[in-house]
Amino acid sequence: MAFADKKKFSKRSRSCPFSGPDGMTIDWKDTKTLGRFVSERGKIMPARITNVSLKKQRELARAIKRARFMALMPYVAQDDQ
Amino acid sequence: MAFYECMYIARQELSPTAVEELTKNLQKIITDNGGKVHKTDFWGLKSFAYTINKQKKGHYVLMELDTPPAALLEMERIMRLNEDVVRNLTIKLDELSSEDKEKEAA
Repeated sequence: MAFADKKKFSKRSRSCPFSGPDGMTIDWKDTKTLGRFVSERGKIMPARITNVSLKKQRELARAIKRARFMALMPYVAQDDQ
Repeated sequence: MAFYECMYIARQELSPTAVEELTKNLQKIITDNGGKVHKTDFWGLKSFAYTINKQKKGHYVLMELDTPPAALLEMERIMRLNEDVVRNLTIKLDELSSEDKEKEAA
């Protein structure tokens, strides 16, 4: 029973960096901002960690996949290059 | 007409002038069929994040178009046939980026 209180109340303190009037825009070409939402192995980080809203997370995933297709971002980042 | 953003990667062996030549030919298809090329910028030789059929670098070219769909499909077909084009991606935009600048400027 100890695990009953799973993280129910989501962390409202940090708002989504993309939504809101002054939020950043998601563009599949600027890999710098996209790179912040990708793990060091090149995998897309889940929204519950990066605190991105659901709608923006879908756009973000689409942008990252486009950047990967155009070889702007790696599918799997080899760290021992 | 609809706004599109088309980016393609040209092979590494091409010289920058050859890439411009290739871009002009592609854009001729668009302008012939009643489209308009809004913006073209060459990102130059960039290295890939992973090797694409044995190549590590490529010339990136980005174009913003305002064309009827038929012209765009024709251009894409040519790009698929052309061996110098390694990869291409065309996206429908709701409005052109530079247009906002013009609006602000005007």
